[in-house]
Amino acid sequence: MSGTRALIAALRERLGAADPAPPRVPMPVVPAPPARVYVPRREPARGDAGGARHTTALLAIGHVGTRYATDVVLQFQAELAVAHEAVAAEVPDGWAADHGFLPLSSRVASHREFLLRPDLGRRLAPDSLQRLRDQAERSPDVQIILADGLSATACVDSGPALCAALAAACQQRGLSVGTPVCARFARVWLEDEIGHEVGAKVAVIVLGERPGLGTGDGLSAYLVHGPQIGKTDGDRNMMSNIHERGTPPPQAAERLAALAAAMIEQGTSGVGLDLARVAGEVERGYRPPQVRQRLVEP
Amino acid sequence: MDLSATIRGVRYRFESVKELLGRANPPKSGDDLAGVSARSAIERVAARAVLAGLTLADLRQHPVVPYQDDELTRVVEDSLDEQAYRAVAHLTVGQFREWLLEIGTTGATLRSVAPGLTPEMAAAVCKLMSNLDLMTVGAKCEVVVRANNTLGLPGRLSSRVQPNHPTDDVLGILASMREGLSYGCGDAVIGVNPATDSPASTAAILTAIDEVLRRHQVPTQHCVLSHVTVQLKALELGCPMDLMFQSLGGSEAANRAFGVSVKLLDEAWATMKERGTSRGPNVMYFETGQGSALSSAAHHGADQLTLEARCYGLARRYRPFLVNTVVGFIGPEYLEDGAQITRAGLEDHFMGKLLGLPMGCDACFTYHARMSQDELESLKVLLAAAGCTYLMSLPVGDDIMLNYQSTSFHDIPSLRRLLGKRPTPEFDAWCEARGITRGGEPGPRFGDIGVVT
Repeated sequence: MSGTRALIAALRERLGAADPAPPRVPMPVVPAPPARVYVPRREPARGDAGGARHTTALLAIGHVGTRYATDVVLQFQAELAVAHEAVAAEVPDGWAADHGFLPLSSRVASHREFLLRPDLGRRLAPDSLQRLRDQAERSPDVQIILADGLSATACVDSGPALCAALAAACQQRGLSVGTPVCARFARVWLEDEIGHEVGAKVAVIVLGERPGLGTGDGLSAYLVHGPQIGKTDGDRNMMSNIHERGTPPPQAAERLAALAAAMIEQGTSGVGLDLARVAGEVERGYRPPQVRQRLVEP
Repeated sequence: MDLSATIRGVRYRFESVKELLGRANPPKSGDDLAGVSARSAIERVAARAVLAGLTLADLRQHPVVPYQDDELTRVVEDSLDEQAYRAVAHLTVGQFREWLLEIGTTGATLRSVAPGLTPEMAAAVCKLMSNLDLMTVGAKCEVVVRANNTLGLPGRLSSRVQPNHPTDDVLGILASMREGLSYGCGDAVIGVNPATDSPASTAAILTAIDEVLRRHQVPTQHCVLSHVTVQLKALELGCPMDLMFQSLGGSEAANRAFGVSVKLLDEAWATMKERGTSRGPNVMYFETGQGSALSSAAHHGADQLTLEARCYGLARRYRPFLVNTVVGFIGPEYLEDGAQITRAGLEDHFMGKLLGLPMGCDACFTYHARMSQDELESLKVLLAAAGCTYLMSLPVGDDIMLNYQSTSFHDIPSLRRLLGKRPTPEFDAWCEARGITRGGEPGPRFGDIGVVT
């Protein structure tokens, strides 16, 4: 026997016979675990002094070992899928014109480019610029722009109603409103070029906001006074979480119109705008505690 | 200085050390956006070959933003430990990489050398290292800090509980915090990002958290991550504050966009040393992330990795208790997908540790980045294996206020069991006493929100 073989044989002997694995245990009896069902709760869980009613965080979901129960995993995956679907969605061709908007597009050519090139999403494509010059009403007080942003789902589902309510709220305050436009692959700063081209006093862009887990229906709005390329975030005022669980669209429309009117009255926007003078109209209302929706039907 | 290399008969020339650093970086969408990345895979290797031949002294002499133009560069240069610098100044970047990887180069040695390294040196060597290289060196760095807990000891993995709430509802915040504690999370900090950046709200949240932590004698520290000026005003209102927070950028201009300067940070630190409520001596908390300088057009034509390292150069002035990179939060225009986010997380951890910081990581993605949940879970394991000081923890990893996906309350105990890690010694003892753990394993009160009332 060679030295190596002898060495291996001796080592095997020390490791214990032919099978180095520990001895087998008797076949276990495996009872079905108790049902651990993810249920959106209105009532406090055991041991909870009621705090869970004050948050939509996924609390008191228990654990299996240190991991999630199967039902929680499925709820999580469904919520993740909803968010990803909202991000991947695009405004269908022809949708804008069908819904009474002048269709515009940024310089972005594809969805991937939209995510990677914020600079291109801030400028109008040449043919869109021409269409805007040819067809949009000039010198309105307020130019409203609907856009896809990071959720075309929110744009398509809730955008037209919010834009119509905002236009009505502006007109009620005696402000003129420009031709409704809808921009594809648009970033916030696109409002600068559009607003400047039509000569609006204030530009408002309403766009789908970055989805959260299980949600893709939120809109945000950004307003700027004296729109022109070169304005920065400090020149803007914004409102986020415009959806039924946050600020409902009719309330949002009133507050946005109040902001636009204040900008025209004060001749400025962003950090320069004195919000104390419009405080009563733009403060957040009371928001009742929320409940998450169960997505996978039992 | 001749900055050129030849590959297969093609000569690649680079104009400056700054350009070279950009071209040598692994692919990042943010460097493409800034126009500083390599134009081909071969050019990237050529840049690395040139970089490997520069000495650490060359890098000190060529910071990516000049001394006279930038207070960050001045902070680094003026406070560099000359003795530590002289120990390694003669090494080329390639030799430095090899020295870091040698078994004989221990954590204690790295700790001695750290004060002599500039951010540009850490960034340069990072570009020559693979992910496993970064983990190998990151794991041997020793950075131990103290506030109420002792953070960063070998064999420990800590976590921040991040109980954010979209309307700062204090009862909702406390509910998330209590659940997190019941999973053994929260030994790094109970840290809340407020929805409203006001002194009153900051003070109200801190006061409420403080009451619960005191009543249950939880050995940890609290922080509300509002702007530093807001926290200073909250302190004037007389609230408790264990740690003071601020986001940092990699240039003076980037910090101006964040509304901070060295002068303001100095003032904040001095105030905290006097009025902070933790035992200290480490009382500051900073967050960073690749791409933030470019997003405010304050990148000076430098790549995002080098700018990130410069944040750490500034952070170490304040001997922080916590520093973390919020690696996937900024979005796909800076870090496009799972591969880029994973790489950046390991890079930031390595560079921070090399420069002597207690480095944590918010391993995360936004829902418009191309990273899967499985890829994110893999990154958490890589970071924990690389000795990352702490990770975040939230209910199911879901931040209901900032809308992104991070680490969960369940992930922290899972990682600890998988890798044989424990929380900080003080917090570990508390978990054992409360029955949250027993001998390091989940105990009878594990996951029971009622363990803290």
